[in-house]
Amino acid sequence: MFVCICNGITDKDIQEVVRNEGAGSVRELKKHLAVGKDCGSCVKAAQRIIDNTIIDETLFQNVG
Amino acid sequence: MQSQSIIITSLNTVLTTELTSINQYFLHARMYKNWGFNKLNDQCYKKSIKDMKQADAIIERVLFLEGLPNLQRLGALSIGEKTEEMLQCDTKFQLAQIEQMKQAIVVCEQEKDFVTRQLLVEILDYEEEHLDWLETQEYQIEQMGLEKYLQAQL
Ligand code: FES
Ligand SMILES: [Fe+2]
Repeated sequence: MFVCICNGITDKDIQEVVRNEGAGSVRELKKHLAVGKDCGSCVKAAQRIIDNTIIDETLFQNVG
Repeated sequence: MQSQSIIITSLNTVLTTELTSINQYFLHARMYKNWGFNKLNDQCYKKSIKDMKQADAIIERVLFLEGLPNLQRLGALSIGEKTEEMLQCDTKFQLAQIEQMKQAIVVCEQEKDFVTRQLLVEILDYEEEHLDWLETQEYQIEQMGLEKYLQAQL
């Protein structure tokens, strides 16, 4: 789904940056994506996706 | 006076959701239209217009109660990328809204504002109907498979 409507950024776009670039905060995310740069109403949702992606990754590594 | 402002506050939260709903369904409608899914477009377009009428009724009620309707605040839109996800986003939205409306109705009962209560019950009724429509779509996708379902929406 679209997380940042102002800039057309999806949850998958964010997950990719977290996985490939290791972004762990919205500030780091902003270096790669324009997320939250307009109205800012998507920042909370973006943070939640970062957190969940990191949790998923950690679980994956623990199992591996 | 005190009791009136509780009603106005809860009417304003309901209003925020309706204003959000107008935009969410309007965008989803036109995304469907762009893909040629005319039936889904029609349904969502109508929903959006209905939300505008519901918002209008709430705005008038707040003004009648001598409050200021909050047209500034807008909730976050939940916009899917594909049909299935769009239907899921709308379902989640409806469930949250229905919960919120029930809370607002309880407030009306506590404050004995039966006119506002009736207005909210009418809106709730329509919102439940739309949730039912959404659940039907999800059931059909499950039964027919996505491809056949989408063919039926042209
Ligand atoms: S929705 Fe992301 S900046 Fe507006
Ligand atoms: Fe509505």
